[in-house]
Amino acid sequence: MRRYLLPIAAGLVLGGLVHLLSTLALPRLALDDAYARLAQLGALNALRLVPEPTPFAAAMPRMDPAFESAVCRYDLSRGALRVRVPVTADYTSVSFYTRHGLAYYALNDRSAGRRLIELELMTPAQRAALPEDEDITAADRLIVESPTTEGLVYIRALVRERGARGAVRARLNEASCAPAA
Amino acid sequence: MALRALILLVAFVVAAATGLGLTWLASATGNGFGAVRVGAWSAWPKSGTPDADPYARAAFARSGELPLGLADGLAFYAVNDDGGNRLDGRCDIRIAGRLSPARFWTITVYDARGRLIDNAAGRYGFTSSELVWASDGRVEITLAPRARSGNWLPTGGREDIVVILRLYDTPVGVGSRSSDAGEMPAVSQEHCS
Repeated sequence: MRRYLLPIAAGLVLGGLVHLLSTLALPRLALDDAYARLAQLGALNALRLVPEPTPFAAAMPRMDPAFESAVCRYDLSRGALRVRVPVTADYTSVSFYTRHGLAYYALNDRSAGRRLIELELMTPAQRAALPEDEDITAADRLIVESPTTEGLVYIRALVRERGARGAVRARLNEASCAPAA
Repeated sequence: MALRALILLVAFVVAAATGLGLTWLASATGNGFGAVRVGAWSAWPKSGTPDADPYARAAFARSGELPLGLADGLAFYAVNDDGGNRLDGRCDIRIAGRLSPARFWTITVYDARGRLIDNAAGRYGFTSSELVWASDGRVEITLAPRARSGNWLPTGGREDIVVILRLYDTPVGVGSRSSDAGEMPAVSQEHCS
């Protein structure tokens, strides 16, 4: 038995390392993460309404059923995107995620302070390539820098009470996500 | 020679089992470090920011959930009642008290796997404007298998349930101190059938 003590001890130490590495690697290895689930709605660089969750089917687990939502799965390698979201009567938010689900930016109707949230999504390199004068003249232009080339824009609109769902959905249908050029 | 190979094999098997076992456990329980706990409720404000730690990122990648961006809102999870007992949908679960300030909030009931619970009323949760409030600003919600008067949410008699209370457009969690978390309602269970 004693001859197994050393390999077991070594195994435990190595196990700690395996744990750290596998935790770090999990976001990249997960086959069924939010991005993969939302990719089933199709379309890259376009907006898709996310089906309302039911007990039998939901795009993702633990979705908030009090919201209507839409997603734009993006790839900025061909250029920047323009995202337009008309705000609804109650609460509308736009959140940005990297390809592996890191929430890097979010804003809501109140922080945007207008009836139409309009922004441009680009990589830091694309922003640096903007003509300088253009950057100055459009002072109120909202530019969001994506740390990764691929990711998700997720739009949530609150349905305050059930009767309002149709109206909120129709409003969300007017949102868009398309190449800026 | 064969013995040496066996010893090496033992080391690798132990390494793989402990390492992957720990990762499996860690990604299945909680969303990383920096939890804010108020009574039965836990939230992970950092998980909705670019500073999310590797455990939070692994947990969300595995579950397939998108975390709420912190500028959007904060989700408080309740798995147990105030006494530390697992929430059981066969009991009457009472959620009562005051809430931290938020422009809107929602409360939703899920089964252990994060699915909504089927019921004839098609009712899975409440928004803050759907609820009947007490005059002193307190809320009282009952989760039970059968219909109740007042703010009732059906649990379908499921054994293990999870309640998520989401605060939208809230200052809670933006500060790093736990004392900023403010008030959350008490969670108790009775009349387990």
